[in-house]
Amino acid sequence: MKQFAEWLSTTFLSVFIQNHNGWIIPTIQSIHIVGIAVVLGSVFMIDLRILGWAGTDQTLRQTTSRFGPWLTGALCLQLATGILMVIGEPVRELVNFSFWLKMFLVALGTLIAAIFLITLPKHQQQWEETLVNRRSIKSLAILTFLIWVCIIILGRLIAYDHVWGSWSPAAKA
Amino acid sequence: MDIVAFLKSLEASGLATRIRDSLWLFPLIESTHVVGLTLVFGTIAIIDMRLLGIASTERSFKRMASDILKWTWAAFTLTALTGSLMFITNARVYYHNFFFRTKMLLLVLSGINMLVFELTAGRTIHRWDKAPSAPPAAKAVAALSLAIWISIIFMGRLIGFTTTRAGVVAPPTGVNFDDFLQGTPGKSGGNPTAPPDHK
Repeated sequence: MKQFAEWLSTTFLSVFIQNHNGWIIPTIQSIHIVGIAVVLGSVFMIDLRILGWAGTDQTLRQTTSRFGPWLTGALCLQLATGILMVIGEPVRELVNFSFWLKMFLVALGTLIAAIFLITLPKHQQQWEETLVNRRSIKSLAILTFLIWVCIIILGRLIAYDHVWGSWSPAAKA
Repeated sequence: MDIVAFLKSLEASGLATRIRDSLWLFPLIESTHVVGLTLVFGTIAIIDMRLLGIASTERSFKRMASDILKWTWAAFTLTALTGSLMFITNARVYYHNFFFRTKMLLLVLSGINMLVFELTAGRTIHRWDKAPSAPPAAKAVAALSLAIWISIIFMGRLIGFTTTRAGVVAPPTGVNFDDFLQGTPGKSGGNPTAPPDHK
């Protein structure tokens, strides 16, 4: 991975970003934060609806058709800006414990969201009438929210990978 | 007491020293700050887009505001608290930083913007509550709100890039997560001589 990161840092786009490091990286990072705000905001609203703490004037389906597309769109923006940041600073990102733990949670969070957004329209009545009232589904809503919170924390910890001590690959290098 | 002396006393406080001396407190506070601000912006954007007639147009504005804004304020409190904790660790550097000052100015502007809403469209909500689109004054406030908050996020990120190593920050000598995991306080696995990288 270290070798791959070092090779990536010699590619044209990477060199370009590095040479304009003064403004490109902060700009991409800021867009990435605006994007994750849309992600977390959308997840938050859907989870609050499942918990019955907000948006109860709407059906579950109405809630997901309002926030689902924004969640999907923002996740695509995150992927694009995320890839640019990896290309811009390959070693900082790829040789990093926080980064890989974050990627695992992103995959998990996206998988849960995808399964939910795909199955809801197919079994709408079941979801609206029984599933949404199940304690396990409500717990899963809280867990999903916490996964995205951890993703944000780990994203910021990429800059501080030393907090993981010997778990950080940078500490060994 | 003049402002610089006051800022200096903030930096010298026990709390500020504690955060500076720790390898993981500042990162944890900063991460929490990001979680808070994403919830602030995420929820405000939902309200603003309702006002602009872009999304949630079939819902009562009043109902949305009472559902959502309490969470916005809770998240804002968390963000302000963690922001203050970061500020006191290096108060003079932040105080003189251009992006920090611009960010504070924008926060004041967002407050004034909110006040303008309360004094204009906010007074006639009963008339447009269920209408898909709000009065022009509310739309202007909403558009400005989105612009201000996105700028605040950009300024915040630029503070991180421009204050790193700008001040004389004592090298952190505290503990890290290794100490929790292994139960050997003081033996840090990281590089204790490296100053924190706020990027």
